This record gives sequence, structure tokens and C-alpha cells, in this order.
Amino acid sequence: MKVEAKQEGSKLTLSVSGRIDTVTAPAFEAELKFGDATQVVLDLAEVPYMSSAGLRLLLTAHKTMLASGGELLIANVQPSVREVLDITGFSGILNLV
Amino acid sequence: MTERRNLYVKLACSVLATFLLSFIFSWCLHDGLSKHDAYELIDRTFKNVQDELTDCINERLVRVCMAVRETLEEGYPDDPRSLQTLANEMRVTEISIADNAGDIIRSSVADYLATDARPAFNFAEAGGEAANMMCLVDGSDTEYCQPFRNNAVNNNWRKFVGVWRHAGGFFEIGCDAKALQSLTRSTCVDLFRNWHVGGTGGIVVTTATGLVLSDYEEPNREGSQWIEPDDTFYWKRMEIETFPVYVMIPKGSAAVQRDVLVGSTAILNGAALVFVALLVGFVISAFVRQQMHAQAAKELEMAKSIQLSALPNVFPPFPDENRFDIWASMETAKEVGGDFYDFYFTSKDRVLFLIADVSGKGVPAAMFMMRAKTLITSAAHTGKPLSQAFAEANDALCEGNASNTFVTAWAGELNTKTGRVTFVNAGHNHPVLIREDGKAEFLKTRPSLALGAMAGVPYATNEIQLEPGDEIYLYTDGITEQPDANGELYGDAQLLKTISSCGRYWRKTLLDAVLADVRRHAGNVEQADDCTQLIMRYRGEPFTVTREYAPNMEGLERAATDLAAALEDVPEKLRNRLLVAADEIFANIVNYSGATHWTLSVELTRHPQGVRLVFADDGKPFDPLVRRDPDITLSAQERTVGGLGILIVKKTMSPVTYKRREGMNILTMGTDYES
Repeated sequence: MKVEAKQEGSKLTLSVSGRIDTVTAPAFEAELKFGDATQVVLDLAEVPYMSSAGLRLLLTAHKTMLASGGELLIANVQPSVREVLDITGFSGILNLV
Repeated sequence: MTERRNLYVKLACSVLATFLLSFIFSWCLHDGLSKHDAYELIDRTFKNVQDELTDCINERLVRVCMAVRETLEEGYPDDPRSLQTLANEMRVTEISIADNAGDIIRSSVADYLATDARPAFNFAEAGGEAANMMCLVDGSDTEYCQPFRNNAVNNNWRKFVGVWRHAGGFFEIGCDAKALQSLTRSTCVDLFRNWHVGGTGGIVVTTATGLVLSDYEEPNREGSQWIEPDDTFYWKRMEIETFPVYVMIPKGSAAVQRDVLVGSTAILNGAALVFVALLVGFVISAFVRQQMHAQAAKELEMAKSIQLSALPNVFPPFPDENRFDIWASMETAKEVGGDFYDFYFTSKDRVLFLIADVSGKGVPAAMFMMRAKTLITSAAHTGKPLSQAFAEANDALCEGNASNTFVTAWAGELNTKTGRVTFVNAGHNHPVLIREDGKAEFLKTRPSLALGAMAGVPYATNEIQLEPGDEIYLYTDGITEQPDANGELYGDAQLLKTISSCGRYWRKTLLDAVLADVRRHAGNVEQADDCTQLIMRYRGEPFTVTREYAPNMEGLERAATDLAAALEDVPEKLRNRLLVAADEIFANIVNYSGATHWTLSVELTRHPQGVRLVFADDGKPFDPLVRRDPDITLSAQERTVGGLGILIVKKTMSPVTYKRREGMNILTMGTDYES
């Protein structure tokens, strides 16, 4: 899996590609660094599916951003990922755009 | 029914007994009453008869007495002998003359006259009836008649009649019985001819010697000898002024009233009793009917529960099974029909599935069904060929089958490796064979005899080769013989049409579609019989790859890679689901189970296509399916990620099962999809 970061002022866009599961989660976690960005966009357009290992990271990131007064936006969610978010109720917690 | 007939017989008998009792009672009552009435009437009549007869006699005697007075006042020799002569002339017994003081001054009877020893007979002093003659002296009466009585002076029976005397005092004549009768009998003749007593009764007057003077019945009998009435009469005899008088009422006549009363009472009683009996009968039969209804409802419930308890009703019945699918349904009619179905493995690669329909309904059918099911199952479980199992079950069912109940059955045994189905048809409806491409036709073979019909008959075995995706649809005649409002049956053709129109739908969808069409056909007509259906689909042997992995991240990574490669041809959406679900289980095994070995089997099936993933690990026992689902409605701060993986598995995979076997946790999950 790969993560490409793009900073525009206080807005940080992280474009993720590849599955997020137990195998790839450690690498993904290592890339989830937001610096002083107040708005982080996670672009999941290239993520075919995600297991609960990924959900844990998303929840942690979301809570971190909330605590620092910023926001985490999840963009371009694919159907399989969306299904998992719906099943687990995460689509009601995270900011999906 | 017998109990009810007995009840009615008892009821009728008691009604009859009550009727007879009341009849006898009322007859006795009215018989006694009529007798009493008759005698009362007779007594009343006697009073009138006495008055009338006495009047007639008195009148006659007064006239005689007046004739005596006339003769004596005209001047007649004044001595006792001449008085006796006159008495003889006048046909009276004696004549006396009394003065104003009541003393007898002249008499034909010497006893009355004064002698030296005693004074003359004095009426006033004599008292009693004699003193009554004094009314002729004081002028209050001109004539007086005494009744026929004993005369105290000389102890003779006489009737005295007196008339007043112009010179003061009175004349008196006395008549003995004979004289009385001879003087007055003519006045008695026919005196009571028109008198009727109580309808057909009457009065008879005879002479002292028994010659008829007046007869109410036969006037011509006058003068003939009277014979006293027999016991066909209520009667009484009384002597009035020496005349024997009979008042008599024929019993028959007296009984008329009694008969009318008893008759009408009997009719009224009878009617009342019949009414009461009908009412009681109606109430009892209504009660009995209600009891029977309740009983029948209870039996119906019992029969239904027997029937349903015997049938496997959890679907899919073998969740781990990917070589075939079975689905069945039964829609019971109001009255249980004794349908059943069953399916079970007879060996690792052979599954038996059957449907059957017991003749008759209700509890007997349900009981017979239980027996048939047990017999077939136990015979088949011994691994005997199906035809032999059926023959043995048949012989056992025929034993002691007094009610001649029988059961039609169709049973097939699928070899999951080859797709061959060996089957026996014991008089059952031909199943429908649905090919993989959706073409449906009846699987017609010559049926053997129904089970329980005749012992010793052989059961022929037939075979059909199924290709993966082919289906066999079994049903009972509750489906094809459901009538509509015009009595037209649903029929084989319509069944085939409905099944064909279902295309590639199968299992419950097809069963529901058929049932819905049968209901549409029935309209308002009640379901006639149990509607039982079973469908078996052969999927073929799956393509299976099993590999063992190390219980660490390396092993997990290899397993994930292998799985992704194995699922390459699976549609993306399903593949993603499988990969996510598998990742959750991988993580559990590697992170928490403490397993030293674990394997993943990937089974790919065709017709329809499907995937089964079987995870086996030797870690600590852990059934993820019993874990409570996490609360997904909490806010972000409250949420944790615990339990989410299993939730995802449960929501995306079907079926999912867990088993602990031989020290291994075995979790199976999968999904089917149409190509």
C-alpha cells in the first residue's frame, strides 16, 4: 500500500492506494501523520476494501483531529469500504465527503 | 356416535316412563273422581226422587183421606166395625177421628180408644210425628202426611195422613205397606221415565215384590220382575215410602268424563313431555357437539404438533454443505393430512431426501406418519439399498394395519460425488426435474405400490443423473389437487408452468412462488390438504484447496495472498467481502488464539457458484458467533474497535458456522452468487 501526502496551507490531503487490512495496517498507521494541519482529507479512491484493522486507525485519527480542533474528511469511499463503514456505524461518525 | 344414540334411547325411555306414570296416575285420579262424582249425583238424585215420589203418594193419600172425610161427614154408622168396613172399602188399613184436643174419639183400631184402664190416644201428648197432626186442629194446615213409620202404640208400620174435620179435630187414615203400595202404585208408574241421571243413567221404581213400576230405560218392562243392576253400574237402592227405588249410572257413562279428562291430560302431558324431551335433547346435543368441537380442536392441535415436531424445519439444514442444497416447506391445512418430508446423510457422500403423504386425516394419519417416518429412516440408516429399505418399511407398516391406512412416498438418494440419484416411488406424485438451464419436466417412472397397502410387494429402484445445478422438486397432492371455486384442480400442467416461469430462482423463492400460485388458483376456497414441497439442488463437488500456515504475521500474509489468488474469478464485490471477512478471522487466529497450527481451506463451488472458507486452528476454544455485537450507535469518543471484525463477518457472510472438533476451532463461512 502507498500513501501520497499533499499539503496546501493548513489542509493536508493523504491519497491512499491499496487494501487496508491486518497486513497493511502497520504501514498505513506509520503514514498517518498530520503535522499542524487543521484539515485532513483522506482520499480512499484507490482503496478497494478495508477491514476492521483500518477502521481502528480511522477512528484514532478522527479522535486526534477532534481533540486538536481540526477535522478529518474521508473522500472517495469505494463501495466495499462503504459497506463496512455502514455495517459498523462508522459512516455516522466519520465525515464522509 | 354410539354414545349419542344411547343417550337418545335413554331419553326416549325416560320420557315414555314419565308419560305412562302420569297417565296411570291421572287415570286413577279421574277414575276415583268419576266414581265419587257418580255417587254424589246418585245421592242428589235420591233427594229429588224422594221429594217427587213422596209428593205423589201424599197427594193420592190425601185424596183418599178426603173421600173418607166426605163419607163420614155425610153420616156413617158410628161404631168401630163400620169404620173398619169403610177402611176396607177405601183400601186403607185404619181410620181414626180425633177431636180438637187431639184425643182419638173414634177409630177402627181399638188400641187407640179410651178404656177404663187408659185414656184415648192423644196426638198432642204422643209427641213426635204424631204431634205434627195437631196442625190440623189449630187451622194452620188442612192436611198432613206423615212418612211411613213405626207406630209406637202397637208397633205396626204405617203411613198416616190426616185432613181437617169440619166439626173440629181431624180425620186420619193409616196405611200399612201393602195398602200403601196398592193405593199409590199407579201414581208411580212411569213417574221417572224422563228422568236421566248423568247422561245415560236413570231411576227405577219397583213394588215391594220387585215388579218394575217405573223404568227409565225400558218403559215396556213395566210389571216385569226387576233384577238388581250388576257392577257395570254405579247404583244405590233406597226405599221411599215402601217403594224400592234404584238410582243407577252405567260406569261407562260415568267414565266418559273420566276418559275425556284422562285422554286430554294424556295428550297434553304427552305433548309437554315430547317438547321437554326435544328441548333436553337439543340442549344435550348442543352441549355434546360443543364438547366434541373442543375435543376435535384439541386433537387437531395434537396432530399438527406431532406432524410438525417430526419435520426438520431449520434451513439451510446443513450450513457447511456446499455439494447440494435442500429446502422444504409445509403449509398445513385446517385438518392435518399426515404429510411429511425428511433428509439425512446415509453416508459421507450420500444424502437421502424424501416426501410422503399418509392417507386419511387427523390424529390417526399423524400417528401413522410417525410410524412410517421412523420405519423408513431406520431401514435406510442401515445402509441397505433404498428398494430394500422401502420393502422392509412396507412389510412393517402392513403388520396390524387394520385401518388400511397407507402412505405414498418418493425417496431419492444423491451421490454427491457423481450426481447420481437413486430413487424409489411408492405410489407418489411424479417429481419435477428442473435442469440447470431452467427447463422443467416431470420425472416419470412406473410407480410401485404405496407403503402399507400390501405386504411383500417389491419396490423398484430407478436412477437419474444430475448435472451440477440440476434440481429435483418434490410435492404432495395438496398442491396439484387444490380445487378452485368451480372445483377445478390446480393440476400438473399449471405446476409445471409456474415452475418454468421461475427461471433460475430456486429454493424458497420457488417454493413460495408455487404456493402463491396455488393460493391464487384457490381464491376463496379453503386449503384442502397439506401443501408440502421439497427442493434439492445438486451443486457438484467443490474445488478445494487446503493449506497450512504459520500462526504469525508471516503466515497471515501468505494466507491473504493465497486467498486473493484463489478468488481471482469471483466478482469483485463478493471477493472484497470475502477478503475483509477472512482478514478478521486471520487476525483473531494470529493475535489471540494461541494456535500452533492453522489451516485455511478454500472451496469453490459451481451451479450456483459459491465460496466456502474453512478456518481451522488448534488454539483455545473460541466461538466468535456467540459474542455480543458492539453498540454501533455510540459517538466517536465512546466508540472502540472491539468486536467490529466479527460483526462485519456476520453481516456479510452467509452461512457462518462455528464448530469445536478434535481440539480445533472450525469456522466456516461463505457466500453464493449467480454467475
